[in-house]
Amino acid sequence: MTDVDITSKTMDGMGPHGTKVGLLRVLGPAHVWALGVGIVLVGEYMGWNFAVGKGGAYAALIACWFAGILYTCVAMIDSEVTSTVASAGGQYTQAKHIIGPLMAFNVGLYLVFAYTMLEAANAITAGYLFSVVASMAGYQAPLDQRPFIILVIMFLAWLNYRGVLATLTFNLVITAFAFIAILVLFLATSGIAGGGIMQHAALFEGHELPYGWIGILAAMHFGLWYYLGIEGTTQAAEEVRSPARALPFGTLAGIMTLLIAATLTWYVSSGVLPWEYLGDGVNGSVAPLFDTARLSGSTALVWLLGFGTLFATLASANGCINDASRAWFAMGRDKYLPGWFGAVHPKYRTPYRSIVFLVPIALIFALGAPLDQVITFSILSGLLGYTFMPLNIILFRRKWPLHSIKRGYEHPFHPVPAITLLTLCGVTFFAVFLGYGTQLVAMIGFYIVVSLWFHFWRYRFVNRGAQFTMPWPKPLGY
Amino acid sequence: MAHYTPPKQGRASQLIDVIVLVILTVGALFVPLWLGLAGAAKSVETPVANPTWETLGQTPAQAAQYEALGYTPEAAHDLILARFDYSFSITALLTMIAVILLYYFLILRFSEVEYREVIAEKFGE
Amino acid sequence: MDLWNWLEYAAWGLSVAFGLHMAIDWLKTDSSYSEDVLTSSREGELEAMAEEHKVKS
Repeated sequence: MTDVDITSKTMDGMGPHGTKVGLLRVLGPAHVWALGVGIVLVGEYMGWNFAVGKGGAYAALIACWFAGILYTCVAMIDSEVTSTVASAGGQYTQAKHIIGPLMAFNVGLYLVFAYTMLEAANAITAGYLFSVVASMAGYQAPLDQRPFIILVIMFLAWLNYRGVLATLTFNLVITAFAFIAILVLFLATSGIAGGGIMQHAALFEGHELPYGWIGILAAMHFGLWYYLGIEGTTQAAEEVRSPARALPFGTLAGIMTLLIAATLTWYVSSGVLPWEYLGDGVNGSVAPLFDTARLSGSTALVWLLGFGTLFATLASANGCINDASRAWFAMGRDKYLPGWFGAVHPKYRTPYRSIVFLVPIALIFALGAPLDQVITFSILSGLLGYTFMPLNIILFRRKWPLHSIKRGYEHPFHPVPAITLLTLCGVTFFAVFLGYGTQLVAMIGFYIVVSLWFHFWRYRFVNRGAQFTMPWPKPLGY
Repeated sequence: MAHYTPPKQGRASQLIDVIVLVILTVGALFVPLWLGLAGAAKSVETPVANPTWETLGQTPAQAAQYEALGYTPEAAHDLILARFDYSFSITALLTMIAVILLYYFLILRFSEVEYREVIAEKFGE
Repeated sequence: MDLWNWLEYAAWGLSVAFGLHMAIDWLKTDSSYSEDVLTSSREGELEAMAEEHKVKS
């Protein structure tokens, strides 16, 4: 293959195995950061506070830090594997090379569902925000939220369709805005820059742990919401200019950003809002940072955090469309799903058929199901995915020990992160069981049925040896 | 090991596969909803008649924040007193653990079988 | 007609416009390129290229 020049601008992404049209390699580490943090930051603006309702403010802080440990393990493990298996599809491709096809199919579905459900949740929230703004602006009749929900999904899908660089640059700008809004709120209300309004001790008095120890466990369910989606950075692997460097850097910078944002969010919100109000995300505080800004008495802060909330939901939905379509595309390309989905747009260089196909799916969820249900499905799919990761890294290190292949990043202290992650996943399964046991069983029932369908029907269309694309030696023990 | 050549899948068959997946997905989301099994609701165990901030267990500092948010003791009554019920049966817990373990056992088992075939074809035995 | 009524109609209109734009471009693309070209993307291109360059030198 002598006619291939990887530095060529026009032939970029087109390679020796017959790829005539491939995804475009244009992204840098900042885009990876924007993709990871952009998806998650909405969790700081809304949703995390359900953890307060589950066990009180202290329980939410403990859940915040334990979930932080869980996600730090996720980020470390992901960084190592994905800096080596750099391909669209992320964890799906990792599972295919390390554990096996059926696991990969399941992981691919976890990804698509976690992101599509999250996208739907974001669109519902954005529609709600428009209705709040309308009523604040003095509109009497209840606003029809549906056109705004549909518009959010349509606009972001269109943006994704037209190219990845514009999509993630847009994400970078609005994510940075939303993050800075949290920092400004913290500086303005904590007393560091004068005029503090924090009164943690007075607000916690008599309500330190309203449910006792079990409340802390229960809070882990929504503790995940502080960080859910950071693992999505791996989906950009085929579109970053240097995956081995940009992916670990963007992912680890992302998790650090989120640890800061999550702790600051807890600090300002719990220091101003009583826990019963803060913890009820339906009848009480739908958008806790926005409510904190309202109580600060500053109109500028109200506007800042209002826009921060809207931008965070848009950034999240945008990143979700990007990630879900990459995972769907990667599965189509391997014939795990109909091969028709494995197409790349010759001009925009995006997986356009997957993007278009997932639009009506997101609309069904956004218009047809209640918000907490959609969020729970997203969390459950994510949780199943995190349970897969420790198995993944243990087998990865066993089949290809450190010296056998070149890794872009090696995470320290193996297997401590893997074991920690597995333990925390167990705790979170129990927390989900306390509130949503039926959905958990229904969800797993669904995955069992789909797995049988894949193993006994769908897998016949898949090439056996050719789906293993990494230039690695034979795994140990085979 | 013989090289496996997958059959070409026709348009109609591809379409059917997509429809099957979509039906299963929508089913998994909506069946628990239709059966009314979804969600963890909070409830008020012991309502307080003619509530004041003191009988709702709020200190003056806490009451001040509620008033700043625009609440009266009556309006905040349900919000403040509603609690989750965390009681559960051991049988249900064991069932859930069994289902999760069964699920992971099933996929790891089938994956291993398929994976050995992939490695054998890729690295040629 | 209130401002917000107009905004509702505008949102419907824009949604349809974005949807139509995607749908038309999609059909145009599908009809002007062959299926082989569109679905020619393969996983692991970068790794394969790095390998072959090494072999060549």
